[in-house]
Amino acid sequence: MTDLKILVVEDDPVTLLLIKKKIISTDYEVETATNGEEAVNLISGNYYDVVLTDLMMPGDIDGIGVLEATKKLCSQTEVILITAYASVDNAVEAMQKGASDYIQKPINFDELLLRLDKIRGLKALIKDAVDLREAMDVTEKNAGHTIQDLELEISHLQKRISEIKKVLSMEDRDHPKRINIALAMLSAIENNLS
Amino acid sequence: MPLKIKTDEIKVIIKYIHEISGISLDHSKAYLLETRLGHFLNEGDCSSYLDLYQKAKSDKKLEGKIIDAISTNETLFFRDKGPFDLLRNKIIPELIDARSAKIRGNIPIPIRIWSAACSTGQELYSIAILLKELLLDVKKYNLKLLGTDISDTAVSQASYGKFNKFEIERGLAKDKLAKFFSPDGVNWKIKDEIRVMANFKKFNLMFPFNGLGKFDIIFCRNVAIYFSLEDRKKIFNNISNALEKDGSLIIGSSEALTGICPKFEPKRHLNSIFYQLKQ
Repeated sequence: MTDLKILVVEDDPVTLLLIKKKIISTDYEVETATNGEEAVNLISGNYYDVVLTDLMMPGDIDGIGVLEATKKLCSQTEVILITAYASVDNAVEAMQKGASDYIQKPINFDELLLRLDKIRGLKALIKDAVDLREAMDVTEKNAGHTIQDLELEISHLQKRISEIKKVLSMEDRDHPKRINIALAMLSAIENNLS
Repeated sequence: MPLKIKTDEIKVIIKYIHEISGISLDHSKAYLLETRLGHFLNEGDCSSYLDLYQKAKSDKKLEGKIIDAISTNETLFFRDKGPFDLLRNKIIPELIDARSAKIRGNIPIPIRIWSAACSTGQELYSIAILLKELLLDVKKYNLKLLGTDISDTAVSQASYGKFNKFEIERGLAKDKLAKFFSPDGVNWKIKDEIRVMANFKKFNLMFPFNGLGKFDIIFCRNVAIYFSLEDRKKIFNNISNALEKDGSLIIGSSEALTGICPKFEPKRHLNSIFYQLKQ
């Protein structure tokens, strides 16, 4: 199973610590940021599978800002928003902007871990699909080269066969002469092939 | 779990799928029938695959859904670099030279291109983007870009020109995305200037090619691989009749026409091959 690298963004230090502890207990890798600016800095320089961010945060960049920056910098990263009950409408708007999910405060940790598990499953499926596609591309490319070379070779040989046929049916030359020319042509083909 | 298909049903369903789509499945593909058609049994209230077959025979909408479910819609923007380099550096310039030599006055130069199994349109839009970049002033040309596919759903998605992020992320360079697509919520929509260059319609390659007209360039990539040898012979013979004498055919990079259509001759340019009619 693929393990997830998660960035938790939360301005309240107590909640942040609680989320971190819970997630670490499941073997996922966790990093934290206490505001939007710090989060965007981290996302610009590191890859995260999931960004779990509070929707309402003080400062210039709130949860929506973190979401937009994440989607712009790395569209494969999934974003889960943490919302207060009153801001569910904003969460729906965030989903339309590409967030994959939202959870409500107070956080139910079983629910959070289930959501993360689902994302892990999805990531594993996507990885499988990408691996398969890559294998298919490599196979197709190799097979393609061989097939195209063979197509050209066959087409070339067909032309040579027609030429040899023409030589063998030249009526202005005697049989030994025709056979000699044809044999020379065949030898040339044979040398080319080996 | 989808309902298990019975041995006697497999034969009937495989024959039916061939009739409606040309797709040739062998009897070992029972699992494919179950995973791709199984859900129709619940939805359509059918008690068996035979029941589904009986129902689909008189229900065009269901027939369309079955075609969608059974066909492989594998497509992406600029799939394989080769054919597009070929188009840009060899086929289009030579075609324009040949056509402009024949034309007098200011008549737009005709270029007719057919994407014969266009799926959701990525191939034809890639061609349109390439032409837009290559020809600069497209008004000097009489462009006819046609995309056809057997699937109603694929054709309407292609016509609409909307793609999700997975479809966009595969094969499309960032500069082209910014230049030729507009964001539409979480999706992307092809810009009208490209959209209007392409036409899409439903067409079954197994049917006679009446009314399609002739083309200078035909793309028929990775579709005939799902057909039987006999059907492949028929289709590529029909394609040979739909291609101008000096036209070019591009097939999938791992496909071949040896033993399928003797009228075509392979030609190499750089790392790709294309086919022209033997003169």
